[in-house]
Amino acid sequence: MATSSEVKVPRNFRLLEELEEGQKGEGDGTVSWGLEDDEDMTLTRWTGMIIGPARTNYENRIYSLKVECGPRYPETAPTVRFVTKISMNGINNSNGTVDSRSIPILAKWQNSYSIKIVLQELRRLMMSKENMKLPQPPEGQTYST
Amino acid sequence: MTRKLTPNPSCSIGGVKMADQGVADPGNNNNNKPETSEGTIIKVTVKTPKDKEEIAIAEDASVTQFKEEISRRFKAKQDQLVLIFAGKILKDGDSLSQHGIKDGLTVHLVIKTAHNPSLCNYLHSNTTSGFGDLASLAGLGMGSANFMELQQQMQRQLMSNPEMLSQIMENPLVQNMMSNPDLMRQMIMANPQMQQLMERNPEISHMLNNPELMRQTMELARNPAMMQEMMRNQDRALSNLESIPGGYNALRRMYTDIQEPMFSAAREQFGSNPFSALGGSSESGAQPSRTENREPLPNPWGPPNSSNPSESGGSTTGSTSTTGGSNPSVSNPLGINPGSLGNGMFSSPGMQSLLQQISENPQLMQNMLSAPYMRSMMSSLAQNPELASQVLMNNPLFAGNPQLQEQFRAQLPIFLQQMQNPESMSVMTNPRAMQALMQIQQGLQTLQTEAPGLMPRYAPTGRYTLDNGFQLFCFFWPSLMTGGIPGIPTGGGMPVENPAPSPSSAATNTAQQQLMQQMLQMFAGGGAGGSTQTPEVRFQSQLDQLNAMGFINREANLQALIATGGDINAAIERLLGSQPS
Repeated sequence: MATSSEVKVPRNFRLLEELEEGQKGEGDGTVSWGLEDDEDMTLTRWTGMIIGPARTNYENRIYSLKVECGPRYPETAPTVRFVTKISMNGINNSNGTVDSRSIPILAKWQNSYSIKIVLQELRRLMMSKENMKLPQPPEGQTYST
Repeated sequence: MTRKLTPNPSCSIGGVKMADQGVADPGNNNNNKPETSEGTIIKVTVKTPKDKEEIAIAEDASVTQFKEEISRRFKAKQDQLVLIFAGKILKDGDSLSQHGIKDGLTVHLVIKTAHNPSLCNYLHSNTTSGFGDLASLAGLGMGSANFMELQQQMQRQLMSNPEMLSQIMENPLVQNMMSNPDLMRQMIMANPQMQQLMERNPEISHMLNNPELMRQTMELARNPAMMQEMMRNQDRALSNLESIPGGYNALRRMYTDIQEPMFSAAREQFGSNPFSALGGSSESGAQPSRTENREPLPNPWGPPNSSNPSESGGSTTGSTSTTGGSNPSVSNPLGINPGSLGNGMFSSPGMQSLLQQISENPQLMQNMLSAPYMRSMMSSLAQNPELASQVLMNNPLFAGNPQLQEQFRAQLPIFLQQMQNPESMSVMTNPRAMQALMQIQQGLQTLQTEAPGLMPRYAPTGRYTLDNGFQLFCFFWPSLMTGGIPGIPTGGGMPVENPAPSPSSAATNTAQQQLMQQMLQMFAGGGAGGSTQTPEVRFQSQLDQLNAMGFINREANLQALIATGGDINAAIERLLGSQPS
């Protein structure tokens, strides 16, 4: 994958790569992502999954997310939204949207970032001191939107 | 069901064959299907955070069938399995092909375990002393004749299998333990190997004394990689101990230096630290062997010591870790409130969590007591009181407290009889009996704090109480097991008083009653000794301050102040810690 700033990687190229990566299960197995709808030609809507890190209040839980990669992805950051209810800094409590200004990599997005990195970063934030002990809603609840 | 995805026919996408095969076919693995033609068996990698397996399954299989295979391979129950592919959870009713799972792809697996009872099997390692002590408890159920051998074996296994280590670390029980620096410190200290280590490396003792550092170390330790590193370092250090210059006295001295902060950490459980004068201020270097310590013990129930600032951090952790109501909960089936467990000198936070763990797992106690060598050890101890006393003396917790030693020695014959008494055995294994013991303990403690004048005064010598015997027993057991007297499996601590008299012989019963009385007296005397003022009067100013700060629950304030001996900061932390977070 091209990481130099001179070469602009076509959006779909990137997204297809990410799709492939998601299906191959690259990484440590704590996040997973894939197309929400396999027939989605635009590769816009993705679902992601984060496995709550151990020794936090998120432990043993599986968080489902929706990631939307707009037309200008990867130049612009995707929008991310939690489907599973979660209590975490930067996540809107009522609808699960991830505030792009509060999550560092979304705020300072670079085109070398990817959905995987977003998911992993969110997972890492779950382990931060400020988040790890937040009381969580009961398991299995989802946002209504 | 292939997917056609050609968003932009003019763009050439390297590395991914677009053609007709659909996107989810990386690198064209169609040709890699073994033996049969397309459609039958595919190899899917199933990956957990810890390991991965390749599973062969029919391409048109359902998720349920897939889970069956997985549960066999991963030795987990099917309903514990959660499968994730491409960001979606695979539901049992789906089929693999529905999700586009093809040969060579990876599916993520999460095995849901609420509480892992196989923890006991894992903790058989003495690679770190902290583990060692709990491991001793757990490993007793194995009934190995040679405990050291078992430990070594598990140590070897552990070293060779980092996975196991990470599994251990993942276990919530271990995590609870590890997240309590006081407990860790205590366990570490109780291990004679560790003491030797500390003698060699004073930095370690400094590290243990500093709660902040302890906590950091615990954070490090949670990371399995660091843990391994630590273990290796420790092994190296231990091997250096071969050439220990026999400085047993030096060891004791060293240990006493550490006792002070250790017991200061436990101080919040009882008014003051009886050992503080021993270890801390005066004789850092000049203390002779512990049995010769003639310095009078300070009155543990005298005017409260000024708080040790470095320990307030420890107390914080201690207080947060000792919250827990008396209501039975899932993790605390006997409803034991560790915060009120114990006025004995071993009722540190570490002890309490240990107790809690034991109460949560009565099987543990059962295993412990039914181990065959346990019985043989008991009988040998009973026959040889000298041995028992030696064993007890070796326990560094007694170091520096000759009066306590005297007491124990006096009690030994009775104690040994007690231990022989299968009734006391059954008491210890009977969770309800243990609970009753705890309740009595709690009641006594409440009495002590609420109406100190009620109990007759008694010269405070050592504060050991009703269930102290049990505490001591539990506490001694691992430390003694791991190295009290070489070659001799060790005995427990003080007798467990059997409140429900079930005499097997008149002699035993009388002894029990005597013991009971003595204990009560000592306990009560401990509570009342030293000051005729009620705690309320003594802590009046502190209570006012707490009130001003907004802690309006006078009862709770009083309790906290009593427990911390008048230390406002520690009391506040205690109060805060008891609130649900």
